[in-house]
Amino acid sequence: MFGLLLVAACKKQEAAKPEAATAEAPAAKNSEAAAPAPKEKPLKVGLVTDVGGRGDQSFNDSALRGLELWAAGKKMEGDGYQPASAEDIKATLQMDLLERDPPISPVNITPIVLQSKVPQDYQPNLQMLADEGAALAIGVGFMLENAVEEVAKQNPDIKFLLIDSPVLSGDNKPYALPNVRTAVFREEEGSFLVGALAGLATKSGKVGYVGGMEIALVKRGEAGFRAGVAATNPKATVLVNYTGSFDNVAMGKQVAQDLVAKGSDVIYHVAGSDGLGVIQAVKEARNSGKQVFVIGVDSDQSHLAPEAVLSSMIKRVDLTVYEAARDLAQGNFKGEDLILGLKEGGVAYAPVRVDFPGKEEALQKVEELRKKVISGEIKVPTHPDQLVAAQPSP
Amino acid sequence: MLEVLEALLSSTLEYSTALVFAALGAVLSERAGVVNVGVEGMMRTGAFCAAVAALSMPTPLGVLMGMIAGAAMAAVHGYLCIRWRSDQVVSGMALNLVALAGGTYLLESLYGPNGTPPITQLSRWHLPFGLAEVPLLRAFSGHSVLTWLALALPFAFHWVLYRSPLGLRLRAVGEKPHAVATLGLSVQNLRWLAVLGGGALAGLGGAALSTAVLDRFEQHTPAGLGFMAMAAMVFGRWTPRGAFLAALFFAAGNALRIGLASSLPEIKDVVPQGFLLALPYLLTLLLLAIQGQRTHAPAALGVPYEQESR
Repeated sequence: MFGLLLVAACKKQEAAKPEAATAEAPAAKNSEAAAPAPKEKPLKVGLVTDVGGRGDQSFNDSALRGLELWAAGKKMEGDGYQPASAEDIKATLQMDLLERDPPISPVNITPIVLQSKVPQDYQPNLQMLADEGAALAIGVGFMLENAVEEVAKQNPDIKFLLIDSPVLSGDNKPYALPNVRTAVFREEEGSFLVGALAGLATKSGKVGYVGGMEIALVKRGEAGFRAGVAATNPKATVLVNYTGSFDNVAMGKQVAQDLVAKGSDVIYHVAGSDGLGVIQAVKEARNSGKQVFVIGVDSDQSHLAPEAVLSSMIKRVDLTVYEAARDLAQGNFKGEDLILGLKEGGVAYAPVRVDFPGKEEALQKVEELRKKVISGEIKVPTHPDQLVAAQPSP
Repeated sequence: MLEVLEALLSSTLEYSTALVFAALGAVLSERAGVVNVGVEGMMRTGAFCAAVAALSMPTPLGVLMGMIAGAAMAAVHGYLCIRWRSDQVVSGMALNLVALAGGTYLLESLYGPNGTPPITQLSRWHLPFGLAEVPLLRAFSGHSVLTWLALALPFAFHWVLYRSPLGLRLRAVGEKPHAVATLGLSVQNLRWLAVLGGGALAGLGGAALSTAVLDRFEQHTPAGLGFMAMAAMVFGRWTPRGAFLAALFFAAGNALRIGLASSLPEIKDVVPQGFLLALPYLLTLLLLAIQGQRTHAPAALGVPYEQESR
């Protein structure tokens, strides 16, 4: 009994760590200022990033956008949250998101964000959210699968959202926990469309693919991309390379430079932070007079290099996070396994903001393909091995 | 085929730059008898300070700041090892840890966890007179001034070390410091010179990473490159030209790994990707094994100088 008390006391102390406190305190203040009389106390929604962390311009930032900006109506400025205006939110909603019904607008929640420096942080961070009284805890990334599974079992009263992986048992079989919602995306479908676009935009007849670690979802990206290129430009070659990491910018750049030197003029990356290096390599190649484009991933990465980014394969992590928070606030969150493709609006491609010859026809063609994928007329392969059977290897 | 070679050459030049500077810095320090395990930390400090400085001043000045920061780290090393004769390996490792944690702390508190804001990169030089269009020669175009410096410096360093009085003294301090003292020269001063110079070179290597290769300090910089530089020094038998060639070799190994994977996708069916990723390190191990057992390290390496000892 005393032991238990001691454990509880320790946990309390842990929960009072400054990181969590600073994230929360200004937020509470601001929400009072913005909405003078919230009838109910806002629910706490916690989020644990993977090691990529805030500022990766990609996967984690997308999840944070869904939680902080869309669900809580706040933006991070300097050290604390500031209330975001309706325009701030609207500026981040593209295309079909603006017409969503019900519309995306803030709900009554308070965000708590914990960043993970090393993989060993995942589980303590999630547990800290539970101790902080979060009603929903979000694990961003497949790397948090184990941690979410453990903490969800220990805290059955708290809801969880796990991005990019189902809950897996010891022998890697997916299974369901009643308080966990999981979301995986059909990256291959989004990649198929940007692949089709790359096939139409290339002049050299060579396009490149830079993957991060060789894991299933990055392989799905490769398979979809290559199938997409083959759909619009069967003669084109796809050069493929993997960096082996998600957080080594210099490696991403080196790999991309190799692809540029070998003549690729459209390069698609699914490589997390390594991708920032890919974008930089393309930017530099353009500065030295080469006509090269890059295709971003996860978030719309156009702002990183407006001239060089052809489009981005968007994974709507933000929307999934937002909807989980909204469902929680409205009291209809339930544990389920979501598989989100083009049809469900889980993946998409970003608006094409650069010009290239034949852009209009290309966009029409890509839209056609999008409809065909949604209707099920085209089935996009999920592993490069499935391509080899269908077409000669490059 | 030609473009494959070109890509290989260009990539080797670009990514050997930082390694060459750091390896030369290690050679300078160790030839004077001071073990320099802290290269990694000095590179990290140099990279960080260069990027931070370049946010508010012209990038070349930022590079200079990076060198000064590397030398400042080396000064701590020198103070401990030369002044107080403490264990040189322990001091170097401590510097590495301080730079790793301190860099992360400063980065996070100043700019957020991933990296500094982008800076103006060092400008890249393109070959004149249409040479930039000639196959193979093309690979030499589009690198920063630091790459060219890294190609020239080893030979200048070689000349200083083997053809000038200063070089003779530096080498003597690493082999037989008492002989140098007998000639009325200050062992301490010569070692200070070598340690500070080595730190500045390591800082320059770090600065090359954050101002020429990338356009910011990125959280993992230099990601083990400092230790590769030490391997290059050993593999190059503590000579400037040897370390230079070894650094080129390591960079080429990495470029080969990348080039192979994209040019010959079939290779992946035969060789697992993990093996390819480890290729540069495996090559290093293999060569060190072949190189044999004969030691080439300076005789007084790691031995603190004491006037009274014999």
